Amino acid sequence: MSLLDLLRTAFSNLRRRKLRSFLTIFAVVIGASLVSLLVSLGIGAQQFLTAQIKAMMPPDVVTVASDPNRFEIGVGGIGFGGNPQEVSDDEDSPLSLEPLTLQDIEAVRALEHVERIDPRVTLRAESVKLQGSDKSFRTSLRAMPQYQVESTDLVAGRYLTEQSRWECIIANQYLDSFGLEQPEDALGRDVIIRVRQWSSFIGLPSETKDYNFEIVGVTEKTLRSTQIIISIEDGKELSRFWADNPDWYTDDIPPAILQVKLEDSQYADQVAQAVEDLGLGAITSKEVLGLIGTIFIIIQAVLSAFGLIALGVASLGVINTLIMAIYERTREIGVMKAVGASRSTIRLLFTTEGMIIGFLGGAIGVGIGYALGLAINRISHATFLKDFQTFNISAFPWWLMVGVIALSTIIALAAALYPAHRASRLDPIEALRYE
Amino acid sequence: MIELHDVWRLYRMGGESINALAGIDLKVSQGEFVAIVGPSGSGKSTLLNIIGGLDAPTMGRIEVDGQDLSKASDRELSLYRNKKVGFIFQTFNLQPTYTALENVSLPLVFAKVPLWRRKRIAREVMETVELSDRLRHKPNQLSGGERQRVAIARALVNDPKILLADEPTGNLDSKSGEQIMELLTRMNKERGIILLLVTHDLKTAGYADRMLRMLDGQIAEAVDRRQAL
Repeated sequence: MSLLDLLRTAFSNLRRRKLRSFLTIFAVVIGASLVSLLVSLGIGAQQFLTAQIKAMMPPDVVTVASDPNRFEIGVGGIGFGGNPQEVSDDEDSPLSLEPLTLQDIEAVRALEHVERIDPRVTLRAESVKLQGSDKSFRTSLRAMPQYQVESTDLVAGRYLTEQSRWECIIANQYLDSFGLEQPEDALGRDVIIRVRQWSSFIGLPSETKDYNFEIVGVTEKTLRSTQIIISIEDGKELSRFWADNPDWYTDDIPPAILQVKLEDSQYADQVAQAVEDLGLGAITSKEVLGLIGTIFIIIQAVLSAFGLIALGVASLGVINTLIMAIYERTREIGVMKAVGASRSTIRLLFTTEGMIIGFLGGAIGVGIGYALGLAINRISHATFLKDFQTFNISAFPWWLMVGVIALSTIIALAAALYPAHRASRLDPIEALRYE
Repeated sequence: MIELHDVWRLYRMGGESINALAGIDLKVSQGEFVAIVGPSGSGKSTLLNIIGGLDAPTMGRIEVDGQDLSKASDRELSLYRNKKVGFIFQTFNLQPTYTALENVSLPLVFAKVPLWRRKRIAREVMETVELSDRLRHKPNQLSGGERQRVAIARALVNDPKILLADEPTGNLDSKSGEQIMELLTRMNKERGIILLLVTHDLKTAGYADRMLRMLDGQIAEAVDRRQAL
């Protein structure tokens, strides 16, 4: 039997019992659309998070910490629900940090392919307000070197330079908070950033200090909606007041975390290894993304499990349909054998029917999943994700479509194996006598 | 040429074994028409099914044109049924959802003949059985005699060496029955196809060159009309 005849016969057999075939296919459709939609939501979230992390941790930057285990915590180290981790006397708590030594910093600076190093400045600001206004807002301050500032997208104004003092770039969302119509309206205005000393965290007496910054730029809308970017130098100064320690970020107390810029992202692994060889901790954006990828694989597996259960149930429908078909077509199978169909031909005929059910169900299901995904994207862009037009909750890469169709086909094929085997083993003489 | 040597076929039915065939020796030459008569359960149909490769003997040897069927695999047997044998049943066994032409084409599907050639060959055979005006009819739109002629066309479509007919006139009125027998005899004489025919009806058996009477799985009597005449 040629492939064409096989398909033709299988299709015409499915058409004979239209309602039953439709219902069987429909069950596969439900499973396939569930799997594809849920996985697409997972992919969408992952793509978004990945983009955000890439913005915060450029691929050509290695983050270096004084503690070699700083970045080894991973997911399991938090110890939530697990037994308490044993700590040896000569080991630091994984959540504490010592300042780097000047020798360490120089050693890192001297590494091959290192372009420049900057301290990672720890900053806490209590609030921010537009000068002349009495409304204060929460804020998260970030001190960045110029090259990193330049990797953010502005809708108005300019970037900070190495020489910038008391200038800042505000997140787009502040325009709304400050009551400004256009991004350009913010440029040249002053904001007052209030810093309260860290001792207030634990209830000790503390002081506050106000710093004036001129707005020179406004970013595009991103998830970091309360971010205000200032220069490293300004950051150090605010940080010293916050920590109530004028020696911080000087040669007396060097930073604990460095941001190391490389000549090119291809050297990231090499430099990270060299840093670890110095007895320090290092992490690259690739490693963080890898960790996120692992987490998302787990999330997606859980999500797709629901759809897989539906597909599994649908496969029972396929088995049922095909076994019914054997009873209906017993005589026909007998005739087919009498005129020259071998066992393998009969088996192939039934597995092809199963595959067609799976393929059609998968294709229609992916189509529906895709349409639902589009609808969800539309609705979300019109409502709660109005500010994130580039973020799609549901993302449908080609491999997801192909994969779900292939999966449905394979599951239906597997379901068809037993009925096909039974049909092929029918005794032709009995089958021809069957009423 | 068909040769059976001491062919046995045992069936087990609820712990009891029944000899459907009990040591059959038989030779049928090219172009012969042999009628097999006998009471129900005498093994007539079993003999036909074994010669047709639908059933396998428990013991003994069966050869068709030098091919040993008792040792053939499923694939070889299905090829044999497809190329060398045409079955004709009492109940026609046509596929009700197919047209007459599609029913006739069925063996060609398994012979991997492409669609356009299938149609041509099937049309020619439908002409042979004088049903050229019934190509697109479904079986339920045909009379009993016409249905059996479609079934005969299906049996002839792969140009077989052997036609195996199990009570082909059993479901037909006498006039249609005669027409069918004339058609089968014509195919036997014109094309030199071996015709093995199982029947209850002595009148139908009267068309044959040779008549075998079976009883309890054995050939009880053989009458050669050609010698008798």
